[in-house]
Amino acid sequence: MAKILFINPVVREEDVPRHVPYGIALLAAIAMDRGHLVQVYDANAWRRGEDVLRAVLRADDWDVVALGGITTTYNSIKRIVTAARDECPSSLIVLGGGILTSLPREMMTWLPQVDVGVIGEAFETLPEILGMVDAGQPDWTRVAGTVSRSPDGTLVLSPQRALIDDLDGLPYPAWDLFPLEEVYFKNSDVLYSEEGMLATRRLDINASYGCSLICRFCYHLGIAGDMRYETDDKGNVNPAFDKPGTYTRTIRYHSPEYVVTLVKHAYDTYGINFVTFLDENLMTMDQHSGRTWLKEICRLWHEFGLMPTYEYDDNGDIKSWTGVHWSGTSHATLCNPEILKTMRKAGCSHLVYGYESFAPHVMKTIGKGASPASNIRSFFWTLESGIRPIPNQIIGFPNEDFESIRLNMEAWKKLGIVVKPHFATPYPGSEWFTVYRKSILKQYDGDLEAFILDLGDASAISAVISHNFNAIELIGLREMMLKDDTRMIDAYEKIWCENHGIPEGAPATLYTKSDYGHAAE
Amino acid sequence: MTSVLKGNFTPKKTVDLEPEKKDLETRFENAALKRLGGSIAFVAKKKIKWDADE
Ligand code: B12
Repeated sequence: MAKILFINPVVREEDVPRHVPYGIALLAAIAMDRGHLVQVYDANAWRRGEDVLRAVLRADDWDVVALGGITTTYNSIKRIVTAARDECPSSLIVLGGGILTSLPREMMTWLPQVDVGVIGEAFETLPEILGMVDAGQPDWTRVAGTVSRSPDGTLVLSPQRALIDDLDGLPYPAWDLFPLEEVYFKNSDVLYSEEGMLATRRLDINASYGCSLICRFCYHLGIAGDMRYETDDKGNVNPAFDKPGTYTRTIRYHSPEYVVTLVKHAYDTYGINFVTFLDENLMTMDQHSGRTWLKEICRLWHEFGLMPTYEYDDNGDIKSWTGVHWSGTSHATLCNPEILKTMRKAGCSHLVYGYESFAPHVMKTIGKGASPASNIRSFFWTLESGIRPIPNQIIGFPNEDFESIRLNMEAWKKLGIVVKPHFATPYPGSEWFTVYRKSILKQYDGDLEAFILDLGDASAISAVISHNFNAIELIGLREMMLKDDTRMIDAYEKIWCENHGIPEGAPATLYTKSDYGHAAE
Repeated sequence: MTSVLKGNFTPKKTVDLEPEKKDLETRFENAALKRLGGSIAFVAKKKIKWDADE
């Protein structure tokens, strides 16, 4: 059977490692179930240098070195595959995950060390690759969902891999193959709620795939029905994602029994006291199931004895608990007071909301289906249920202007929101990457790889898609927003209008719909 | 010793986690970087590229 080394690349280096890579943990479990010999090197958890990486690569005769992650792991992945090719000249190097899926041809070109790329969902593709390694006669073009190199070096995409239907047939993630005690449990706290802050043994689970909504900055990793294969004018087949007028989704979720049994397993085996649902949008699933899914998960949470019971300190504050608190991602228009109350009663502590903006004209261009009014309604429903809403904000949208900046500041003040907004960032795979690609390239002197290398958290600026503001203006405006300094913003608006030749009284914006795709540079 | 490799078989060679060796200079510079701003400023000694003739 194939001997496979999984490597989890480094992500968000400025913070401690907090998340077992769920996709790799599932793939490792699948590979073991099929009888393969599996080792995991979690480079993100250990954060050790090149020497340790190379020692790992020399530790055995690996048939396969497999790695993957989100787009922002590019720096780390580039280093790992370079070392892997060097130390393991005859191993098959396989790359998968969101990083490869959105730009398969570019990644295979920039990373010549990679032999096979797995596009989109890998639950069936990777075991088929391992099976072919065992059989000794690899022909990757016969494995759907791959990109590989033909003998003359041209890249070949095999047919698109279909998404699996039977999610409950997946094994549990191979958590034992990750340094839970050594690293992850020590970093259990999540500063989103009191209970999150007090969490001491947290694991993440992913209970569903997909999101019914269209947010123009969002990417769904090609595992949410968001990906189609299209042929370009030169006859090349490429995966395509959201673009104006074409949006596809497949909504899939585990049964409530699978979800809660998995949590119970984690509770009994690892003594966890907190679970983060990684799901893109729990409320999509609830709505799709006719409002039964979350209710049933909550009912089972009680039935399985997972509902937290507390120990208090001398001030009457929670000190610790038995049972499992949890959190996830909600959506302004899809939640309702009943389900929020039910979730709270089952131990839900906080819910992330992408409120993004409190300016109606900006919300209209984002997609999403939400408005400032629906944002505020869900905000109070969530607070009233006893769950903390996490009010995410973004600035730098295509039609961001002085008015929207002020509307945001007013809303934050009224709603007690304390936030340092992200910058709207066109990650590959999102509609805005597709629409603004030329503009992004211009901002990086035609070098797309330089843009990818620059990507990290959206709290730092990279490519700008705002038509009105450049990077320096956005950073300055955010600084003033944080200080609630309307005086400076008003003063700058006057200078800005003069600079752009906008007469007094005329709308202070350069954005027109026909201009979509042409950012300020 | 903790192995950095975890799996379902014993690899030919083990790779143990050596205690991280960070010298005092690195520890100081990392700590200062975390609090950078205002009067906290420092010289990253390994990054000096100044040529004496400049
Ligand atoms: C956990 C998580 C993180 C973790 C890191 C996870 C990790 N270890 O890599 C943290 C918290 C650090 C993170 C940060 C960010 N994230 Co994030 N994150 C997620 C989240 C919630 C779950 C990922 C997950 O486990 N999914 C479930 C598993 C099953 O999917 P998967 O890992 O992709 O694995 C499947 C395939 O992709 C593939 N695959 C994956 N790895 C491998 C490896 C091999 C060898 C193979 C063959 C296949 C393969 O096979 C798996 C099975 O099909 C997703 C949303 C979501 N629900 O997916 C967002 C998501 C991935 N994040 C996203 C974003 C935008 C970010 C941020 C940029 C946001 C920000 N704050 O600015 C930051 C970037 C931080 C930085 N500086 O780099 C985007 C997409 C990013 C992208 N372009 O790739 C997502 C999709 C959310 C969204 N819809 O907007 N994130």
